[in-house]
Amino acid sequence: MTYQKKDLPSSISKIGMALLAFGLVFGVVAFFVDHSRAVFNYLIAFTFMISIGVGALFLIALEYIVGADWSVPIRRVVEFFAAIIPLLAILVIPLLFNMGELFHWSHAEAVADDKILQGKAPYLNVPFFIIRVFVLIGLWSLFYFFFIRNSKKQDSSKDQKLTTINIRLSAAFIPIFAITISVSAIDWLMSVEPHWFSTIFGVYFFSGTVIAALAAVTLATVLLKEHGYLHPAMTNDHLFSLGALLFAFVNFWGYIAFSQYMLIWYADLPEETFWFMQKWEGSWAIFSIGLIIIQFLVPYIVLVSQPAKMDPKKLKFISVWLLFAHFFDLFWLVMPEMEQLSGGYSFSWIDLVFPIAAVGIIILVFNMKAKKENLIPIGDPKLHRGLDFHL
Amino acid sequence: MSTDYSVEASVVAGRLSLAEIEELIAKPLDTKPDKKFFIALTISGSAVLIGATCLLITFLFGIGMWGNNQPVGWALDIVNFVFWIGIGHAGTLISAILFLLRQRWRTGIARFAEAMTIFAVMCAGIFPIIHTGRPWLAGYLLPYPNQHNLWINFTSPLIWDVFAVSVYFTVSLIFWYTGLIPDLAILRDRTSSKIKKTIYSIFSLGWRHSSRHWVHYEKAYVILAGFATPLVLSVHTIVSFDFAVSIMPGWHTTIFPPYFVAGAIFSGFAMVVTVLVFVRKIFDLQNIITVNHLEKMNKVILATSMMVGYAYGMEFFISWYSGVQVEQFVFINRMFGPYIWAYWIMVSCNVLFPQLFWFRKIRRSIPAMMIIVLLVNVGMWFERFVIVVTSLHRDFLPSSWGMYAPTLYDAGILLGSFGLFFTLVILFTKALPVVSISEIKAVADGARPTHHRGEHHD
Amino acid sequence: MTNKKIFGVTALFNDPNAIIAAASKVDSAGFSKWDVNSPYPIHGINKAMKMKPSKLGIITLIFGLSGTVLALILMWWTMSIDYPMVIGGKPYFSLPAFIPVTFEVTVIMATVSTVIAMFAFFFGLPRNTHALHDTDYMKKVSRDHYGIVIEAIDPKFDERTTLEFLKSLKPISTEIIYYPEKEEYPMFEPRFLGFLFGIAVVVSLGTYLMLNKLMYIEPFDWMDNQAKIIPQTGSEFFADGRGMRLPVDGTVARGFILYPFEGQTNPTEVLSNPNFPTKENLELGQRKYLTYCSPCHGNFGDGDSRLAGQFPNPPTLHSERARNFQDGMIYHIITVGQNVMPSYASQVTREQRWAIVNYVRALQRAKNASDSDLKFVKAK
Repeated sequence: MTYQKKDLPSSISKIGMALLAFGLVFGVVAFFVDHSRAVFNYLIAFTFMISIGVGALFLIALEYIVGADWSVPIRRVVEFFAAIIPLLAILVIPLLFNMGELFHWSHAEAVADDKILQGKAPYLNVPFFIIRVFVLIGLWSLFYFFFIRNSKKQDSSKDQKLTTINIRLSAAFIPIFAITISVSAIDWLMSVEPHWFSTIFGVYFFSGTVIAALAAVTLATVLLKEHGYLHPAMTNDHLFSLGALLFAFVNFWGYIAFSQYMLIWYADLPEETFWFMQKWEGSWAIFSIGLIIIQFLVPYIVLVSQPAKMDPKKLKFISVWLLFAHFFDLFWLVMPEMEQLSGGYSFSWIDLVFPIAAVGIIILVFNMKAKKENLIPIGDPKLHRGLDFHL
Repeated sequence: MSTDYSVEASVVAGRLSLAEIEELIAKPLDTKPDKKFFIALTISGSAVLIGATCLLITFLFGIGMWGNNQPVGWALDIVNFVFWIGIGHAGTLISAILFLLRQRWRTGIARFAEAMTIFAVMCAGIFPIIHTGRPWLAGYLLPYPNQHNLWINFTSPLIWDVFAVSVYFTVSLIFWYTGLIPDLAILRDRTSSKIKKTIYSIFSLGWRHSSRHWVHYEKAYVILAGFATPLVLSVHTIVSFDFAVSIMPGWHTTIFPPYFVAGAIFSGFAMVVTVLVFVRKIFDLQNIITVNHLEKMNKVILATSMMVGYAYGMEFFISWYSGVQVEQFVFINRMFGPYIWAYWIMVSCNVLFPQLFWFRKIRRSIPAMMIIVLLVNVGMWFERFVIVVTSLHRDFLPSSWGMYAPTLYDAGILLGSFGLFFTLVILFTKALPVVSISEIKAVADGARPTHHRGEHHD
Repeated sequence: MTNKKIFGVTALFNDPNAIIAAASKVDSAGFSKWDVNSPYPIHGINKAMKMKPSKLGIITLIFGLSGTVLALILMWWTMSIDYPMVIGGKPYFSLPAFIPVTFEVTVIMATVSTVIAMFAFFFGLPRNTHALHDTDYMKKVSRDHYGIVIEAIDPKFDERTTLEFLKSLKPISTEIIYYPEKEEYPMFEPRFLGFLFGIAVVVSLGTYLMLNKLMYIEPFDWMDNQAKIIPQTGSEFFADGRGMRLPVDGTVARGFILYPFEGQTNPTEVLSNPNFPTKENLELGQRKYLTYCSPCHGNFGDGDSRLAGQFPNPPTLHSERARNFQDGMIYHIITVGQNVMPSYASQVTREQRWAIVNYVRALQRAKNASDSDLKFVKAK
């Protein structure tokens, strides 16, 4: 059995374009109709893109550093998702022009009145924030560039030294990833409520990020495999590890979310509890309960059995579900802080626009890369063993 | 020195046959203990006696013999408890988590690490019981029905500890024993001594190596590993809750659960490396516990060292970011206050020295790794000391501030716990196979059938 | 050898590929009561033997979930129903705080049940009497060989043909396994009796020592002997060796209020009457007066009681002197006594004394009514 590169059907790019166009048009309308709401939703979609892109890069580094073989045949799929990273530098710009909507601390008058915000000003100020944003995106892009270049070169050269280089890059990347993803979480998500703080917040965002990246990879892998775009020697056994990792990280998310909540609930300190209390106002309470059910209970029950972890149908379903769940998580983190929604959630069509645009962008990027590259790393020395893998 | 990634590395070096593996691992059980064994046992046994004496004095005269005071109500008792529970975590991680991740290199070290877990949890369990002051009433910690309708406080993290540590001990014991059964059967079938045969027959439950049993056995092993994994994470999480549910600055911080778990794995692996370096030399197991095994463990130590460093950094940053004055003070006090020496021992041993493991040569050098892992053990003990003592000795009210110093009895009991741990380890090496014979046989070269699953790749 | 019962026939191999191939052939040949023995689980043997996946997980699920439910019920009942206490300002049923214990109980129930179910019910172990034990086959298979055993109870089994079939698989060796001779264990063997006797001695001695000796030794005596003083015991702490002590001088009984004019016959000051002569108060005063005062003073305070003559008569309460007494003086006389009249402080409470005072005043007014009083009464 050999791998033959097949081009993805043109319908994929058409869907991507349609979603993006829809998102662009209605996004612009939304900016004018309800500026604040549009900006908040843009933020959510943007952090979702960080999750998918940087999360995918993390998965690549993880594979190299632990020496996994089962994931080698699908590493390209992961790389295509990581391709979003360079785009982040452009996507972030509208947000940087609307920081006032999102961040209280960016208003000089608010800070002048508030001793606590004054204390945080050395970190939470606009210039430093912008520098951090671009340093982070720059770092991520740098690593992305080198990982991908080596992987692509290996397709033709089959040089094992490139794997060694990538392993060293991974070792360097992972601690940098830990710090940068935490800084992202604090900057974009935690500082929306600048009076609140939680040391585990970076880990919380990390857990959601990995689930989202894994879900995207799983969905793409199952779909591509079903339609014969990947190596024909791949079996459902290869899918098992994806299912197992999804299950493990769903548990991890539950553990982190519970820890964060329970410790703040138990100590009952008003300077911490108010953040959760805000998410219990009116209909937000339903969202909070819903988060546990959507992000933990349902995926747990669906993925707990061994056969379920390798069942393509269940994996497709739960991947889509978990991608939605990550959006839901980000939404829950940020939206209750919006002034007009502080008493409870009320639906607006704007909430649907930006996720659709984000999905469109991801599909388009994926499609673009799939046109230019092989869908499996044909030059990787571990490809053989990876395809041989079975439970 | 370039690696060939297309070939899977051998787990067992030296192309040992199944029979050779069996002989190698079972040898200590067939031979009488030698002088070195008795010397080692005497040293560790003396430490146990010193500890037992200090304990006896504590029982007779009360907790006043320790250095605990106001405001430092919790000191070495809790530090030692958390330290030992942390050490235990490596065993379950190697056994259960590496099993679920299908890392075959765990087979050489899993049995030993599991035994270390059980011994470490035994040492750990001593401390919560003795620090209550009236340890003979320890039964009060369990929910038994009584005439006063008194129940334990299920919402207290100290009670969560009772449940977590008991369950952890029980499950680790079951997991370890289940893994031992095939080995006990092997020992039963190769021994010529009648007494040993009887003992092995009883404890192997009559295992017949039947494939119809192996299929359920493997499933049970997966289930046990699948439960042991969240269990081990939950145990140190619950231990961290002892501190994190309070309102004390320096204790109440949401990152404690994963931070403690990472720290536990970190200290546990350091202890495993410490002991294994000796064991592989003494029992000639260099082909089964290879330098590759040690190198992989050192990589885990490096990774967890960075996780611990991340937690230190995040705690420090958020304490500033929070703007809460008492929080900010606690961290400045830790770094520059009267316990400055403890803090910097902690940071250098936990974050700085392990960074040497970035270098392959150091990862694979026995003397270098011994120094580093010993420093890690010291550093992790000091981490618990810093967390407990510095947060307590200066909290909200300056008029309540005080200092703490351990007494001779504190130190004696700590020494005794090390003595107990090493005594059990030494006895274990002569009583049971330190490596899982059946698991190693399963990963030896040529143990797997080389069937072809149709034609595939190129 | 006597005609022993045959258990089955075995074949040994020393290569994993060979055993897999052989196992497939045995399965294709239609045998059902057969097995493969190996020192470790062979990769792919399950498929070759067409074994169904283990159902052990169901036990885990059932017992694990039961653990969850039981833990939650226990905590709910003890903390919310049986002895609810407000702890840390949290509600009686605090799910976040119940999660850790619930999780731990789930894990212990799931794991213990799985292992016990597997060994006791799925395997029927412990069992050291199986025919394969102590055979050369078992020794080889424990060490570095792989074996097939086909049992005699299999419907397709025949000693000769089955053995030939096994030989056709090209094993290293074959062996016929017989059931071991049944060992007789006579009941009254001296060593066994001695063993039982020994156990009986140890258990009874142990129980006796525990219950009659250990339970009385501190600290195992459940606080039977405590370092506190109980009534009627001695104490070395005090010089006179007594445990019971008198109260310190000036000790006052609970609820006691010192009467400031105790012992004075003609007090310069008296207390003032705190009670209004309401209807209830006067009725109380009347009842108490009739009970305690009338035997000597008579029903209307004239001093003409039924004890007149047998007892020194008290002076009339309607004298000029008595009518000029302050209320507190009358109270004083009731409290400390006067001449022959004893103190009535122990019979009549302070409340009641004041009520009597009001009643006496009412009597005095009745016996010396003013014109307006009479007019008031006549009008009614």
